[in-house]
This record gives sequence, C-alpha cells and structure tokens, in this order.
Amino acid sequence: MTITLLPFAAAGALIATGVTLLLERSLVRLLAGVVVLGNGVNLLIVTSGGGPGSPPILGRFAPEEMADPLPQAMVLTAIVITLGVTAFLLAMVHRSWQLTGSDEVQDDTEDRRVRLRARAGELSEAVRRRQEEYRRLLAEERVQRPTEKEARRRLRLRRREALRLMRHAIREERARQALALDPELEGDD
Amino acid sequence: MESLIAVPVLLPLLAAGVKLAIGARLRHLQSLISIGTLTITAVVSLVLLFEVDAHGPVVTELGGWESPLGICLVADRLSTLMLVVSTLVTLCVMAYAVVGSYADQEHDAPMAIFNPAFLVMVAGVADAFLSGDLFNLFVAFEMLLSGSYVLLTFGGTQSRIRAGATYTVMGLASSMLFLIALAVTYAATGTLSFAQLAERFGPLDTHVKLLIELTLLLAFAIKAAIFPLSAWLPDSYPTAPAPATAVFAGLLTKVGVYAIIRLEALLFPGGPVATLLMWVALATMLVGVLGAVAQTDIKRVFSFTLVSHIGYMVFGVALSTVQGLSGAIFYVVHHITVTTGLFLVAGLIERRTGTTRVERLGGLMTLTPLIALLFLILALNLSGIPPMSGFLGKLALIQAGLADGAPLALLLVAGSLVTSLLTLYAVAKVWGKAFWRAPEPAVAGTVVESDESTGEDPVVTTTTMPLALVGSTAALVVLGLSFTVLAGPLSALTDRAAAELMAREPYVSAVLGRGR
Amino acid sequence: MESLLILHAAAAICAPWLTRLLGRDAFPLLALAPAAGFCYSLWVLVSGVPERSSTPWAPALGLSLSFRADEPGVLMMALVTGVGLLVMVYSSRYFPAGEAGLARFGGFMLAFAGAMLGLVMADDLFLLYVFWELTTVFSYLLIGYDPESRASRRAAMKALMLTTFGGLAMLAGFVIIGQAAGTYRISAIVADPPEGGPVVAALALVLTGALAKSAIFPFSTWLPAAMAAPTPVSAYLHAAAMVKAGVYLLARLAPAFGDVPVWRAVAVPLGVLTMVLGGWRALRETDLKRLLAYGTVSQLGFLTILFGIGTRDAALAGVAMLLAHALFKAALFLVVGAVDHATGTRDLNRLSGLWRSAPWLCAAAVLAGASMAGLPPLAGFVGKEAALESLLTWETFDTAALAGVVLGSALTVGYTLRFLWGAFATKPGLPPTPAHRTPAAMFAPAALLAVLGVVLAPLAGVYDAAMAGYTGSFRDAGHGTHLALWSGAAVPLLLSLLAFASGGLLFWARRPVARIGAALQLVDSATLFWSVMRRLDLFAIQATGIIQRGSVPDYLLLTLASVAALGLFSFLYVTPPDLSLDIVAWQRPEQPFIVVLMIAGAALALAARAYVLLAVMCGLTGYGTALLFLSHGSPDLALTQFLAETLSLVVFALVLRRLPIEPVSARLRFPFRLGIGVVVGAVTVGAGMLAMEARQAEPVGGLMAGAAERAGAHNIVSALLLDIRAWDTMGESTVLVVLTLGVTSLVFLRRTSYTIERDEGGGTRPAGRPHWLSSALPRGERALAFEVAARLTFHTVLVLSVYLLLVGHSKVGGGFAGGIVAGLAITVRYLAGGRYELAAAVPVHAGVLLGAGLTLSTGTALAGLLSSGAALTMLAADVTLPLLGTLHLSTGLLFDLGVYVTVVGMVQDVLRALGAELDRQIETEDAS
Repeated sequence: MTITLLPFAAAGALIATGVTLLLERSLVRLLAGVVVLGNGVNLLIVTSGGGPGSPPILGRFAPEEMADPLPQAMVLTAIVITLGVTAFLLAMVHRSWQLTGSDEVQDDTEDRRVRLRARAGELSEAVRRRQEEYRRLLAEERVQRPTEKEARRRLRLRRREALRLMRHAIREERARQALALDPELEGDD
Repeated sequence: MESLIAVPVLLPLLAAGVKLAIGARLRHLQSLISIGTLTITAVVSLVLLFEVDAHGPVVTELGGWESPLGICLVADRLSTLMLVVSTLVTLCVMAYAVVGSYADQEHDAPMAIFNPAFLVMVAGVADAFLSGDLFNLFVAFEMLLSGSYVLLTFGGTQSRIRAGATYTVMGLASSMLFLIALAVTYAATGTLSFAQLAERFGPLDTHVKLLIELTLLLAFAIKAAIFPLSAWLPDSYPTAPAPATAVFAGLLTKVGVYAIIRLEALLFPGGPVATLLMWVALATMLVGVLGAVAQTDIKRVFSFTLVSHIGYMVFGVALSTVQGLSGAIFYVVHHITVTTGLFLVAGLIERRTGTTRVERLGGLMTLTPLIALLFLILALNLSGIPPMSGFLGKLALIQAGLADGAPLALLLVAGSLVTSLLTLYAVAKVWGKAFWRAPEPAVAGTVVESDESTGEDPVVTTTTMPLALVGSTAALVVLGLSFTVLAGPLSALTDRAAAELMAREPYVSAVLGRGR
Repeated sequence: MESLLILHAAAAICAPWLTRLLGRDAFPLLALAPAAGFCYSLWVLVSGVPERSSTPWAPALGLSLSFRADEPGVLMMALVTGVGLLVMVYSSRYFPAGEAGLARFGGFMLAFAGAMLGLVMADDLFLLYVFWELTTVFSYLLIGYDPESRASRRAAMKALMLTTFGGLAMLAGFVIIGQAAGTYRISAIVADPPEGGPVVAALALVLTGALAKSAIFPFSTWLPAAMAAPTPVSAYLHAAAMVKAGVYLLARLAPAFGDVPVWRAVAVPLGVLTMVLGGWRALRETDLKRLLAYGTVSQLGFLTILFGIGTRDAALAGVAMLLAHALFKAALFLVVGAVDHATGTRDLNRLSGLWRSAPWLCAAAVLAGASMAGLPPLAGFVGKEAALESLLTWETFDTAALAGVVLGSALTVGYTLRFLWGAFATKPGLPPTPAHRTPAAMFAPAALLAVLGVVLAPLAGVYDAAMAGYTGSFRDAGHGTHLALWSGAAVPLLLSLLAFASGGLLFWARRPVARIGAALQLVDSATLFWSVMRRLDLFAIQATGIIQRGSVPDYLLLTLASVAALGLFSFLYVTPPDLSLDIVAWQRPEQPFIVVLMIAGAALALAARAYVLLAVMCGLTGYGTALLFLSHGSPDLALTQFLAETLSLVVFALVLRRLPIEPVSARLRFPFRLGIGVVVGAVTVGAGMLAMEARQAEPVGGLMAGAAERAGAHNIVSALLLDIRAWDTMGESTVLVVLTLGVTSLVFLRRTSYTIERDEGGGTRPAGRPHWLSSALPRGERALAFEVAARLTFHTVLVLSVYLLLVGHSKVGGGFAGGIVAGLAITVRYLAGGRYELAAAVPVHAGVLLGAGLTLSTGTALAGLLSSGAALTMLAADVTLPLLGTLHLSTGLLFDLGVYVTVVGMVQDVLRALGAELDRQIETEDAS
C-alpha cells in the first residue's frame, strides 16, 4: 500500500509535541498535551487506516474510491470523548487553582512521609561522621598538647564545636528514628 | 438467551439516565432504582453464567449487525463469571453507599452525581467484560474511567483533587496508548472484532504483532496497576469516598487483568511476552508488598497489597497453561470480593473513629467487636490463610507454577510465598496496632478534622452503624467465605473457563460461525 | 469425624454468647465439645483402627475432606481432646469472674481445639495444612489475649511470623510431594512414597515447616515469648497440642521418608542442638513458666531426634515420649498457673515455702516432675529408656546423637530439680510466700495428669502392642525394642544413672551454672529476630521511598519511557524489519500547507509561556487536523473536529480568565522532554507505517458500503455511528454525560444554590435602552452589536442544528454535530448576555437534558432489545416531507436525538458551571 508521508509526519509532530507538554507539572499544559496528543493519535488512526479517497457518501461517489469509513467513525467517537475530558480537566484546573492558587500537579503527601522515614537509616552515617570528627579532635588535643596558650584555646574551641555538631546530629537522628521505627519492633522480649 | 447479554450494560445506563432526569429529588425512588437495577443485573448475570457454562459461548449482535461488521457482545465462561462476581459486589457496595453517609451527601448535591456516575461505571465494567470488539473495549474503558474520575474527585477536596489529578492523568495516558494500539491494529489487520483479530494476527509480521501486543499490554498494565506502572494507584485510591474506593480497588484493576487475560489467551497465544510478564509479576508482588509493610494508613496498606496481589494474577496468566490461567481467574474472583470488603471495612472504621491512620487508632477490638471480626476475616482471607478463598487461589497458582517446573516459575512460586508471608505481616501490624493496643479515648460525635481552606469535610465520628451498612459489608464477607464452600464447583468452573480460553476455537466460531 | 469438627465450630461460635450469659462457668459447659471428642477417640480405640472417611471438596485443586484415625492419630486425638477438656475446666477458675476477655478466650480456645483435632485427623496434605494454619491463627489470637500488653502483642506477632514462614515453605513441599506421588492422600503417599530430586527438596521444605511449628532451633525463640499468654493457653497450645503438630507430622511421614538422607541430616542434628540448648537455657530462667517453656523446647528437640532417626525402634520410643511429655508438661504448666493464682508471682526468687502451704499441689508437681526427669517407675522413664536403647542399637550408630540425648537428659534432671526447688522449697532468707487456697477445679486437672503418668507406666506393654500397626509400617524394623517399665537392659540404665548424677550436680551448682550460661550467651535469638524484622521494615520503607515518588510527571515519564523502550525493542526484536516501504511525500496538493501550519502551531505551543497563546496554538493544530481529515476524505470528521475544537477553545477561555497564575516550570529539562516526545512520536508513526505495509487482509471498512445500504443510509459514517456501531456511540455519549457531571461536581461542590435563576428584579437591565436580550451585562461590558447578533442568529442557528440532526443519515451532519451547533448558539447568547441570559436561553433544570438524552438513547436500545431480541435494532420507515425531501425515519433518529439532547445538555451544564458560576464567584470576590 502506498504510504503518504506528510500526514504521518504531522501525526508524529503532534504526538511528539503532546508528549513533551504532557511531561510538565502545570495542569493546563498537561491538558494541552492531552489535546494535542489526542489529535495526533486521531490523525494516525485515519491516516494509517487506509489511503485517502472520496467522502464515504453513497450515491455521490463510487464505493471503490471512498476513504475507509470505519477509522472515521472511531475517530469521531474519540473526538467526543476528548472534548468531555477537556471540560473535566479544565474544571479540575479551576478547582485546583481555587484550593492552592496554582495549577501545579501536587506530589503525594503520604509518599513524602515515607521518603522522610526512609532517610532515617542513612542519617546514622552523618552521626558517625560527626562522632569520628569529635574523637579525632579529642585525640589530637591529647597527643599534641600544644604549649602555646592561643593554640590550645583554638583547639579546644574546635573540639567544642565538633561536640555541639555531634550532639545536634544525634538529636536529629533520634527524631527521625522515632518517625521511622515502629515501637512494636523495638528492643527484645 | 442472547438478548439477555446486553442487559447488564443497558439497564444501569438507563437507570443513570432516569436518575439524572428526575434530579436530586425523590431520594427513596433513587435508591430503589439503583438497588433494583443492580439486583436485576445480578440475576441476569447468574442466568447467563449457568447457560454459558452448559452450552458454550453466547453472542449477541448489537443492532442485528453480524460480526465483523457490527459490534457483538460475547458471553463466555470467563466473561460471565467476572460479570456475576462484579455485579454481586457492586450490589453490596451500592447498598452500602445508599445507606451510608455517601448518600446523605447526595442531599446537598446540585444534582444526583454519585449514583449516576456509579451506575455508568458499573455499566462500563460490564461492557468491558462482554465486549467482543477492540474499539468497543476502548469505549467501555472510557465509560468506567470517566465514572471513576467523577467518583474519585467527588466533593472536590484538596486531597481528592491531588489524587484525582494523578489518577486522571494516568488514565488518560493509558487511553492514549490504547488508541495508538488501535490505530496500529486496524492498520495491520483491517478489523476490530476479537474473533477476526485472533485469526488475522496469526500470519502477521512479527514486529508489528509484537508492537501491538506490547502497546496494548502497556495500556492494560496501567489499568491493572502492574509494576513499574503501579505507583499511581496507592496515591489515588485511598482518598475517594469509601464505597468508590472499594469498587475501584475491587473491580477496576481486575478489568485490566481481564483485558490482559483476553489479550494473551485469545489474541497472542504463546510468544516472547510470557517471560517478560513473569519478571514483571515478580516485581509487582514484591514491590507492592514491601510498600504495604511500609505504610501506616489502613487504606494505603490495602492499596499496596492490591498492587502486590495483581502480581499473582499476572503470574498465572504468564504461565500460559490451563492450570495457571485457571488459578489466575480463581484469584481474580477471590480478590474482587475480598478487596472490596476490606475497603468497606476501612470506611466503617473511618466512620467510627474519624481516621484510618494506624498510629491514631487503638483498641478497636473491644470498641467495635463486629467491625473487628469483619476485618479479621477479610484480612486473613487476603493473606491466604486456609481454608479461605485466598488460600485456594494461591494454592492453584503454586500448583501451576510447580507443575511448570521452569526455574523462573519456581522463582515466582518462592516470590508468591514470600509475598504471602509479608502480606500477613502487614495486616498483622495493622491488627496489632489498630485493633489491639490500649483503646484511644475517642468519643462519638467528635469532630476530628475540619478545614475550610482545603475543602475537607468535617469528619464526625459516630457510634451508630446502620444495620444495612454493616450488613452489606458482612454480605461481602459471606460471599468471600462462600467460595470456600463452593471451592469444588468454582475451581472446576475456572478450569473449564481456562480450557475454553486456551482452546480459542469456541470463542472464534461462536462469533464468526454464523456469519459464514 | 466431620461432625466433631462441626461441634467444635458450633461451640466456638456459641462461646461468646454463653460466656456473656454464664460468665466463666460457661467453660465446663463448653468443655463438652472436647469431651465428646475424647469419647470418640476412646470408641475408635475400642472398635479398632484405622477409622477413615473421605468427602470430595475441590478435586480440581486436589483437595478432599479425608480423615483417618490410625494409631498415632488416635493417640493425638485423645491427648488433644483430653487435655483440652481438663484445661477448659481449669480455666473456669483460673480467670477472675467477670474478666473482659472471657468471651474471646472461650471462642478462640474451642476453635483452636477444633482446628487441632482436625489437624491430627487429616489424611490429606492440604487439609492438614488448612488446620495447621488455623492453629497458627488461633494461637496468634490467644497469645494476644491481653491486647494492651506490648509483650503479648509482640509475642503473638513473633509466633505468627515464624510458624507461618515455616508453614508456607511446607505448603510448597506438600505440592511437590503430591505432584510427584500423584495423590495428596497422606496414607497413600506413606504406602507408596515418591522418590527423586524434587522430593528431596520438598522434604527439606516440609521439615522447615514442621520444625518451625515445634519450635526447633533456629525457630525456637517464639515459644518462650509465647508464655505471655494466659497459663491455660500455655498448658494446652504450648505443651500438649500445637507444638506437637510439627513432631506429629514427622511421625506421620517418618515411615515413608525416615530413611531419606536429608530427613536424618536435618532433623537429628537440629534436634540434638535444640535439646541441649533448650535445657541449658532452662537452667538460668527465673520465671517458672519460661523455665518450663525452655524445657519444652528441649523436649521437642528430643522428640525430633527420635522421629528424625526414622527407625521403628526410635519411633516407638517417640510415641511413648509424646504421650509422657503431654501428660507431665501440661500438668506442670497447670501447677505453675495454680501457683501464680495463689501467690501472684511466678518468680522463683520470690517464692518460698510453698510445699508447706500447698502440699497437694507440691505432690502433683513432684510426680509430674519425676516423670519429666525420667525417674522410674513413671511414663517419662519408659520413653527415655526406649529412646536410649534405640539409639544404642541404631545401625548407623551416631555418637553425637547419643551424647546429646544423655547430656540433654542430664540437663532435664537439672532444670526439673531447679523448677521444683524454685516453686516449692523454703529458701533461706525468704519469708514464706502468702498463698490463697487453690480451687479444686484448678488442682484436679493437674493432679489427674500427673497421676496418669504413674498409672500408665505399667501399661507400657499394652501401649506397645497398640502401636504395632504404626511401628510396623517402618521399613527399617530395627532390633525389636519394646516398651517396658523395666526392660533390664544395662547400658541404657547406666546412661540414665549418669544423667541423674550429673543432673543433680548441675542443680547443686545452679548459681555458677546460671552465671556461666549468661556469660556464654553470644547472641539472643529474640534480639536477632526483632533486628531482622526492624531491618525488614527499614528496607521496606527505603525501597518504597525510592519507588513510590508520588509525583505524576515521574509516573508519566516512566510510562512514556516504557513506550519508547518497548517500541524500540519490538522494532529490533530478532531481526530489524524490512523497511522497503512504498512512500510518497503527499497525495493532495493542500497537504504540505496544512502540515507546515500544524507544525508551526505545535512549535509555538511548545514555546508559548502564556496559557492563552498555548490554547490558541492547540486550537490551531486542531483545525489543521480537521483540514487534513477533510483532504483525506472525511468531511464528517472535519466538521466534528472543527466544532469540537471551537467549543474547547471557548471552555478554555472561560476557565483561563480565572487563572492569573504564573506557569509552573517543569522539573525535567526541555531537551530531555522533547527527546522523549520525539522518540515516542517516531515509534508510533513508524509502527503505523509498518502496520500499513504489513496489512494482508481486506479491511472490514470496505464492507461498510453494503451495510450502509442495508441500513438505508447514504452517509456511511453516519450509518456506522447511528446503526452499525451505535453501541459505541451510546457509550461515548454516556462518557460525555458523566464527565459533565464531573464538571458540575467540581465547580459547585455540594452547594444547594445551584440553579442560576432568571433575573427577576431586573437590576442589571439598563433602563431606557432597547432590549435585545432578556438580560444584559453591566454597562461597561456590553457590546450591543454582539447582543443583536446573538439575538438574531439564535433561532436560525437552532434550526440549522436541527437540520444537521435530520440529514445526518444522508448527508454530512448528525446528532453530535447538530448538538454542538445548538450548543454554540447557546454559548453565543451567554457570552453576549451573561449568566441570566443563559438561564433564559435554556429554561431547563440542570441535568435534566443530560438525563433525558441518555434515557432516550438507551431507551431506544432497550426498545430494539424488546422488539427483536437484539439491543439497538432500529425500526425504520421512509417518509417524504415537504422541504426536506424523502427522509429515512427510523428509531435511529430517536437515538440520534438522544445524542443531540445530551450534547446540548452538556454545553448547558458546562456553561453553567465554568461560565455562570465562575461569573458569580468573580462578582462575589469583586464585591468583597
């Protein structure tokens, strides 16, 4: 069968545009993507369904020359459905704007909570780093015993700062652990 | 008999039209129409099931146009079995919705919205099961999806809009994929009738065939929530009104599974996709159940187990044996009933305490022993504790997997056992915290949440549980338990249904036979 | 046998009701169910074994309700029902009257008894599994009897997870064995055991299940924790009944598989390890109940060794130990319960002088304890002697096993002494513990069980003979050991004496032993278990955190990337496809212009920042598509696309006026998004071309001309929509209805003030001007010319829409196109006159048009169904009318009218919601 390139190219361009718009966070652009993508797919259905021909109206044109009517009927149905979806999504855009002042697609809050809890395990790494830092400074202070007063003071200050950071990290760690871990699983019998 | 096939689709649609036309008035009449319609549909479906099981597939040519010209509805064992279970389940849910606060809210609504949307969704589900035409399957999907879009965003609260956006967008993506597949299918075969497609796909070019199969599979995989296209489900389902979530969880994903079964068994028997499906099934099971273990909200726990157990069904389909397919069908039947019931119970818990967050619940076993009992039975059934239907379905799948004996099948058997254990762990965690533990001093009539800015309704807890509310949930529990008693006939029926599917010939000749 | 199970189930269901009625006194009444079971097992014993029955359940799954009471079965039945009976009686005084959980306890206990009874009677692998898991579940619920205690919740969870883990492994093993044997009947499998590689793996799996249930190392940790349950539960489940299930399964399968290497290699070493470790641990427990629990673990290890050996001799010793252990251990648990009840503590460091205040209880405990330690002339002694003898005469003599058993026996003697001393002895420095009197109902069961240990011991020979049927089924006949109170064999006796002596030594040195035990402990299995669970939870959370992003763009990205990947995969699968396509650039001269226009529109849409521009550009591509449809030869499609696109643009504009918002920037970079878009576009278009090239059969569309002629229509597309594929059209208009409902639902939410009334007061109607419309916008917003145009064209356009509806069958048009044209007419009036004008233009209540349209279309379908048996069959006639010419009238027109009305209703409702209601909101906001 002879393939006509241009309508295919148009369908491809619409589909590519639609997909590109679909991947955005704005609901309006997303909707535009659906509309454009829908047009592209409809075009693809008609174009690939058969070659061009005369309108499928009996009595005026010869049946052999007519374009295949079945894809046309399919696309008509699809167009109507897309129209309904457009109206519905627009209502959703409006409601979303009313609630949040934006038409951004929101992330799921519950999933965010799980992700937050998931980080608890990783955070112990931070605590360990702080601890090592503090110990290293402590050891340094013991070994070096700088005679100079100023140097001693500076070293002490650094150690105190490290201690503060370590405690802070531990506190944070505990808070996260409390979120992450289930009290039913803690401790032994 | 043929004339009955269209009834499960037409009747709910007519009822929806009438309800819209009479408006939000006459609420008692509204409920009567809904319940009556679904009761008649259930009876018709049962009659069809017995007829089809005795005499083979029955076809109705809509408008009198024979296939492949017109659209036909085909009732074979699989589709009528699905139809029977789905109508019985939707009947229970409708009763729940009519009695529960969901129908109360209808009072203030600008027009009857919940009921018509629900009925259209039910009609769409029935049409999807019965359709013998690929494009009509698309339309059926659109019907059920549009109904579910409306139900999911019912009330337009912030969380529902967020969930609705996720759900709608993913639904649209799947519809677009379906359309693309339709374009390619018609271009390659020049037909839309399943029966003719089954014949014309055979000699087709491998690449085109594979393309069509994979695109359709992707479209259905989104609907069925198969990993990696499953993540939208737990984000969207839990926020809808309880009866809506119950039907979504119970039925809508299963329509996707049903479509995959049809696709794999009728249109593309054998082929390289089975291995892909195996891996995907394994990932779905494990990812889903790990998600369930990680959650702390009852509805989300069940949403994740839902995803996980879809993996079971895909496993059965991927085995491409009569045994595997039979197990998958059995599991679908079981899972529709149990999942719907679980979400209804979650609704009851929410009504009683104002929340389904596990950490805020406690002592429900002593507070509401009846709800606790219903939950316990359903949760154990879900986890596959024998002798309940979850176990029977799992057993059928394990038998099929071990009979297959290939290393990948064995791996999947192991995976399904691990999933079973972790499902039990997840529900036991919920039970341990929400139903055991010290009871929270929750007082009836407490306003738990009220926030004007997000449009959330004030949640008012109540101790009054209308009998019909608990009764409809209990009816689902009993339906689930009856599968144990009827295990013999039911498993024999699913075996016959699977054999009919694998043979393909009964379906094709029933549709095309008379036209020649 | 089923009737017994039904009796138990009925009793379990009645239990809550009975306990509410009678309080704890209901328990003796409920005990009638196990009593009936006990009587039945005695009757079976008298009438001769085996007793069997079988009913099909689900043959397709290999499930049958097969029961069989053979020798070990009857033994277990008697134990389960007998101890059950005594425990129920005991419970009626153990719990304080009026305790809250009694109803639950009674129900679960009886349900458990029934499940256990079913387990020991089952003769089908799956039936056994059914009851097996049921006992797990009821045990979970019983361990969690005190739901507010964290310890019992955790213990319940631990027991559930460990035993179910084993159970699931066992299930897989059962399936493999059954498939290899061709049957799931246990008796048939034992009679003709299958062989081969898979069976060996299956046995390992089954052993996992059995060992987990019987708390054998490495699964032992759940049993001591389960002591958080009430004492009757411990005595019944964790001494006499449930923990025996695993050992019982070993006993059932040993005749068939006892000589398979994997069987011995797994069961014997693990049994020895468990026996020694359990006994060693019991030596330093201070809680009497936990001490007994570790003792039970040790004894279960012993039983596992005996059935793991798989010879006749060892199995004989095993069944003897099985009975003896049930008697003495249940008795001891009941004694601990009584002590707890009387003194309020189970801590052996706090109990003192009880032998004086509760002498009879002490006597029962000593009797049972003596049996546990294996002192003659008690049942425990008989079993242990037979065990030692069978080990000594075992062909493949195993020194480690023998040494382990002797060491285990010594430990048993040690912890028995420690138990008796701890519970009853007067301790220096401790005042005698005050104790209440023990009620008879609590004392009698314990005493009875203890005494049975003495009474039954002399009957060892009879017991031996009664078990002949079972022991005879072993292939390895062994050396013919027999049970006897005094066998006279010297070596076992010497070993026993050795055990007594070293046991006494262990007791004497109890303090250092306890210290050494504590010091030697490297890892606590409970800690290990919980850390595994914690890691599992953490892993689940982390995995979910990674996979479940919660972001729609991510999900879409994944979906579209899958499309691209799978598309490319199928292009390149096996060999690349033959790409010699017959391609021409265009076939119609107008195509290049339209396509350039569309691509420009698409590019601008991508670049557009403002939403309005975006909407217009989308519209442009839509119109371009319509033109391409036209050039393809589909005027209907072009018309509909054109109308629908226009309506969309209007609705877009209505909503966008309310959105003074900055477009949100996407997270993904534009080139990346475009890249995915291009790949998806290329894949789909390539697929379309390939498919076109691959088409072999004639398309069905070619047959439609004839079909349309049959339908009496000239326009084939219309015939398809209204007749041949009207089912799709019905579905499509339903979708439209529902989505319109959605729009209403989202905009009006749940407010009752939905109807937009006609303007009654005339407040907005400016005086002294000609009124073209029934209401008008405020002065600044009016455009008189627009009003006039709207007024003048309204009816003309409506007539046009009806014309389109009527001619659909013969020319381009149809219900949908007509509906949109009418809708556009209404839109124009709304735009010109504002929301009150809308109410005037369509004076119908919301939803009515939608409902009427839907009812009309589905009603037509139903009418066809009723008249001719197939839904949607159209009844037709040709009518000649003036002006319009010959019309083909059919119910198809009614159907189409339904679509028309639906579309008008949709436009009305969408305008009401996104137009009028938004106007109102804007007005309200401006006013405030």
